[in-house]
Parts: sequence; C-alpha cells; structure tokens
Amino acid sequence: MSCRFSKTSIIGATAICLSVALIHESKADAASCPSTIPLVDEINAAGGIGGKKLALTTEDTGASSTDALNAMNRILEGKPVVVFGSMISPHVFAQTEVVTKSETPFLVGATNAKVTAQGSKWLFRTHVHDGQLADLIPEYLVKSLGKTRPGIMAVADDYGLGASRGIQASLTKLKISPVAVTSYAPSDKDMSAQLLEIKDKDADSLILFGRPADVTLVLKQMNDLGIKLTTIGNASIVAQTTLNNLSAAEADGGYAIGGMIPQTSSDPKILDWSKRVQDKYKVPADNFTVSYYDTVYMLKTIIEKVGCDKPAIRDALAATRDWKGMLISYQADAQGDLAHTLGIYRNKGKTPQLTGPIKESGY
Amino acid sequence: MGQLVVNGLALGSIYALVALGLLLIFNTVQIVNFAQGQLLMLGAFIGISCAVTHELPVAAAWAITMVAMALVGIVFMVLVYFPLRGRPAFLVILTTIAMGIVLENLALIIWGPLPVSLPSPVHGPPLRFAGAVVSMHQLLIFATLAVTLLLQFFFLTKTRFGILMQATAQDLHTARLVGIPVNRTIAVAFAFGAVLSGIAGLLVAPIFLAEPTMGGSLGLKGFVVSVIGGFGNLPGAVIGGLFLGLIETFGARYISSNFRDAYAFIVMIAVLIAWPRGLFGEKSSEKV
Repeated sequence: MSCRFSKTSIIGATAICLSVALIHESKADAASCPSTIPLVDEINAAGGIGGKKLALTTEDTGASSTDALNAMNRILEGKPVVVFGSMISPHVFAQTEVVTKSETPFLVGATNAKVTAQGSKWLFRTHVHDGQLADLIPEYLVKSLGKTRPGIMAVADDYGLGASRGIQASLTKLKISPVAVTSYAPSDKDMSAQLLEIKDKDADSLILFGRPADVTLVLKQMNDLGIKLTTIGNASIVAQTTLNNLSAAEADGGYAIGGMIPQTSSDPKILDWSKRVQDKYKVPADNFTVSYYDTVYMLKTIIEKVGCDKPAIRDALAATRDWKGMLISYQADAQGDLAHTLGIYRNKGKTPQLTGPIKESGY
Repeated sequence: MGQLVVNGLALGSIYALVALGLLLIFNTVQIVNFAQGQLLMLGAFIGISCAVTHELPVAAAWAITMVAMALVGIVFMVLVYFPLRGRPAFLVILTTIAMGIVLENLALIIWGPLPVSLPSPVHGPPLRFAGAVVSMHQLLIFATLAVTLLLQFFFLTKTRFGILMQATAQDLHTARLVGIPVNRTIAVAFAFGAVLSGIAGLLVAPIFLAEPTMGGSLGLKGFVVSVIGGFGNLPGAVIGGLFLGLIETFGARYISSNFRDAYAFIVMIAVLIAWPRGLFGEKSSEKV
C-alpha cells in the first residue's frame, strides 16, 4: 500500500511513499496549520502508514477564491488520493467542482453550512458548521440564560453574515426579535458605533460572531465603553488568540459555543499535545487544529483498512460511525458532515471553562 | 452622542497621523507613498518586539521604535525612491505599493499572522465628560496629533531644514544648483515620514492590536483624508482626518455599519466634486 498526500491537503498515490500535500489558504488560516503535526511528525515517527513515511507538499491558496482554485488544480496534478481542504468557505466553494470531477475525497473544515449542501459525494466536513451554531446559540441564550433582547454583531463576510442570517432565523423561531443587527468589515478596528447602537436600544445580551482578532477588539471596546452585556458567540470568544490579548476583566463572562477546544480538557495527553502545538508552531491549538488532527488520524485508520483506493476511502468516510477523536466522536450524515458535538464554554477571567458538550438535534 | 464624537475624533486622529507622515514625504518629493500604512504596521511590531517580547519599558520601546523607523525610512528611500528618481511618478507610486506588500509579507514571516497587543504608555481611570468616556490612551492620541501638527508646521516653516525641504519640493534641480543638499533633505523627509508612521503604529497597537495586514486600510484612509483636506495641506489633513473619523462613526451608528468603509470614499468623491482641490487645497498652475 502506498499513497501520496498533499496539504490544503492532499493524499495521492505514488509507488514509493505516502506523500502529503497541504493547501493553506490565508494568513489567518495559517494559524491552524499545526494540523500538519500528525501528518508529518507523529505519523512518521510512529512508522508512517503501512510502514511508509509521509512526504509533505504544501500549496498556498492566497487570499482569493481564484488563487484557491489554481492551487487546487496544481495539487490535483499530483494525483493525490485525498485532499485536506480549507477552513475558508469561499475557497472550498471554488474548489469543490474540480475536486469532485477528479473523484478525490475532499476533507474540509470550512464552516459555511452550505459547503456540504453542494451535492458532492466526495466532500466531507470534520468541523462543526454555522448552521449548527445558528440554532444552538440563540437556543442557549434564550432558554438557558433567559435573555430576550439580544443585539447581534457579526463580521461582514461570508462567515459572519451567513451566521447572522441563521441566528436571526433561529431567534424568529423562538419568537424573539433582536433589538439591533449590526456588522463590521473584516478590516474595521473601531466597533464602538455598533456597540453603542446595541446599548442604546436597550439590549440585554450580545450575540457576537467573528474571528479572534475582531472579537478581541469588540470585547476590549465593550469594556472601555463600560457596556456590560451577557455575550455569547462562536469559539473565537474563548480562543487562546483572543484571550492572549485581553485582560481578565475584558474576557470574563463571555460564552461561546463551537468546536471543541483542547485547553479545557482534563486529559494530560491532550494538554500535552496542545502545549507541543504551541511550543512548536507558536500558535495555540484551537478547535480547527483539533478537527484537522482528528481528520488525519481518521484517514489513517481508513487507509490502513481499505488502502489507497479513492472510492473505497470515500465510502469508508461516508460510513463513519462513532469514530472517537481527540475530544468528540464523529458520525457521517447524508450530506457529509461528520462533527455533531459542540462545546459550551464560559470564560472565567482569561480561562475558558467547559460548561458542557451540546449535540446537534438528532445526535 | 458624546461618546460617538469622542470615538470618531480618536479614530480620525489616527487617520490624520498617517496623513501627516504621507504629506511630509509628498511635500518634499511629490510622491505619494502608498506603503505608509505598512510602515505604521512595522512601527507597531517593532514596539511590540521591544515592549512585549523583550519586556523593555514602554518609554524605551517607543524610543527604539522611533530610531528604527528613521532607519527604515532611509532604507525605504534608497530601495524605492532613488532607483526610480526622475522616472514617471506612477512608477515610483507602483513601487511603493509593491514595497507595502513586501513589508506585509515580511511581517508575516517575522511576527506571524496572529494579532498582538501593545501596552499603552499611559494609565489611569478614564475621564467622564458629558456622558462620554475618554480613556487616557485616547487623550494621548489627541495630544500626539496636536503636538505633531504643531512641530511639523514649525519645522517646515520656521527652521532652515524645513525651508530647504520646501525648496526641494518646488524644484529639485534648481535646489541642487543653489547648493541645497538635496539627498540629505529627502532622506530627512523619508526618515521623519517613517517615524510619524511608527508613532501612529505605537498609538494604534494598544487599542486596535497589531497584525501584518493592519496597514492597508489605515494607509488608504490616510490617503483619503489627505485628498479631502487638500493634498499637501497639513491642517487640511488633520481636519480631513477628524471629519472622516466622525463621518464613519456616525454613519455606522445612524445609517448602516455595513458600509462603514464606503463612507470614506463617498465623502472623498463628494468633496472632490464640490472642491476639486480638496477642502483646503491651494490653487496651482502648471506650464504646458
């Protein structure tokens, strides 16, 4: 048995070794590239797959969907057996057609709910998605925290606006109207106007959906303006990158629902892994790092079982049932989503604490 | 309302500081440096390396950053301006854009993609005024802008070197013929321009964090406020900056936060239609 991998990432066949290719998509995305740890370090250190060592190839997709597509075409020329794709949804949308035509299993962490609704039999997602968050965040805010006058603030891109629309729809189902719906451009640095609007409209809570850099600014500016609102959002609120740049007072009390993060685990092995990621790559392991790590090991298990035959790998991914990852179990649904368990977190000072896991309805 | 004014003025002051650095170079060599925002980013990261990574006192970090930025400005001039001097201006401008991209990628390699905060050099409880909160750091930004404007104005109009810079800007060849050390004058302009960007970076990083891509938007806003104020006019740039900060903040609050960035360009176009030379632009004529 022998396979070629690449990173955005790809696994393809060669006669000699296992070659891994990674496409990493953007500057922000690069922070989650420690997912290469299991690919090159751990798996090779443990003897590779079937005794063959992995060789890592990387492709940078740049910042645009066009670049992402070009990178994918270059990757596909290497005839990989599996592609590890992006966590940036527009890139995945641009790449899906060519990967599907190549009949190559495509494993992604992109969170737009529609990513797996494209009808590709070859695309699988191993990270939770915005559709799940859009249901669970309003539900937890209203039913568990008892808030009825939320304001919404989201980053004005595919990621944030898609989530904002989903959250509004879920609030409507709960018969709640947000008092204000605001957004900010990804490059915005001053969100005080949006925060003041939410405060002036007498909100009792804030649903915040963004990336760690901008969520940090929002939480800082809330504190500067003396705005005290129950804040809940995606995993950026508890991301180590966010907490590193906040004081305890600024971070304290923020709730997040999202993919599981390793920092709150009590398992010494997971904490040790998290520390090794931080030490080696100078970025904290986050929910995406965990997801990609699990993905690689899931794939390792599958390849050891079915070899490098692409349809066989695809079928095995589609048949995944209760595969135990680092923090959650994975189960494939009809669309190709494998992650259905999320974590509810709350910051105590600068330390995120796991309030409990929460499962998508039906799991 | 009061809080919006305070935050709008603080944001506008940052834009104005970027514009002052931009204009110092423009007023000497008649070139728009589109990498001014990336120089700001570089200043922020040098400050962070000193104050956070090496745990130097914040005052020392500021001093080192300013010296480093002066050197960066001179290197920038040697790499970008000198090789293309005398060529069409657009070539130099394109090169400044390219250099901005290089600086951004360099920062990504050196400091990584993650945002980092820099401690503010001033501490203390915020002031409360007419229902608005004014942080110590915001006061520092206002004070820095006022002092920078006055010093730059004094330097350009009352000192020998400032007058030499103006002469160089008006006619480089004649300036050289009458014995003005043109290269040294231009070097001082680039060094001071980079230092001003560095100061803006040091002021921005504690409130907006520093990341490699932070310079693009701020640099562009610096250009927009320069145009609004009347390109080359220092008080005009400051008023343009404050005006734009207020427009963006009030627009985001009362019109829509979705179009915040668009307000800058809508205002710029509107100003140029009404006042083609900007709000405070001087009439100029050119021989053809």
